Amino acid sequence: MTKKKPPRRQIASPPSHPHQPGEGRCLDILRQLSAYIDDELAEDICAELRRHVGACPNCEEFIASLRDTVTLCRHHHPPPLSSQDRARLRRNILQAWKPEGPR
Amino acid sequence: MPVTPFAKTPEAFDKLYREHVDLVYRYAYRLCGDMESANDLVQETFLNAFRGMNAFRGEAQVSTWLYTIASRAAMRLRRKRKGAPERELSLEEFIPTSDGEFRLQIPIEGLTPEQALENKELREALDQAINKLPKKYRIALVLRDMEGLSAKESAGIMGLSERAVKSRLHRARLFVRRELSGTGVTQEHSRSDAKGWRPRRSGS
Repeated sequence: MTKKKPPRRQIASPPSHPHQPGEGRCLDILRQLSAYIDDELAEDICAELRRHVGACPNCEEFIASLRDTVTLCRHHHPPPLSSQDRARLRRNILQAWKPEGPR
Repeated sequence: MPVTPFAKTPEAFDKLYREHVDLVYRYAYRLCGDMESANDLVQETFLNAFRGMNAFRGEAQVSTWLYTIASRAAMRLRRKRKGAPERELSLEEFIPTSDGEFRLQIPIEGLTPEQALENKELREALDQAINKLPKKYRIALVLRDMEGLSAKESAGIMGLSERAVKSRLHRARLFVRRELSGTGVTQEHSRSDAKGWRPRRSGS
């Protein structure tokens, strides 16, 4: 099923309160971002974080890219096991097991 | 659903194998990143499962039991050819040091995840990013974000607390995000630009 992804909000203006390395609450915020995007934060912390993110385009963009990362992981599927490999693996396992088997 | 303990017979093995080989293979492939290593891990997992069949009491789902065996086997298997050395990922290393780093983007704007992953380069970049993760973080990411298990289930499989799983998952996501973000890629990149996107070659 293909679902149309809503367009991300455009960031036109420069950040009003950019984070400075080593300053502010970068680490505090960074620590909570997965819990935030997984909806696991307590309501008050979530509201505080949302307020901050709303005022900080940098954090908003960071969170968007973290969400994109999780979304890609969730939709990334490996190639299926071929029927030949399925049969070969079964044979190999049974052969390897035989010496200590019950018979 | 409770599971009847297995008898250690070829018939029981066949049933176990038939019903779960696709799940184990998918998990193994996601952990290993290539077919050959995934096949090795599938063999190791089923062999260990078969040897331990008598000890399985059906208290957990069979799939959870197999995930646990596969995860342990993956931790034991030596890395072949590629992958990152085992190391701790600290949160500090993911703090952006400039506005540019904050705003690095994964260029999938306007695309569904399925469409984005049709891009071979993006798919390969994602594979590489996951492969570069130290194993213990990779297992957390694969169980939670790829296999779709809960934190509680993942914690049981990994033998950790839920809190520890969440911490590893978070660091793993930050790592993959950083690896996937192309240098200089901005919001202005269009859909067609995204298709021609080249992954950043990180020195980390």
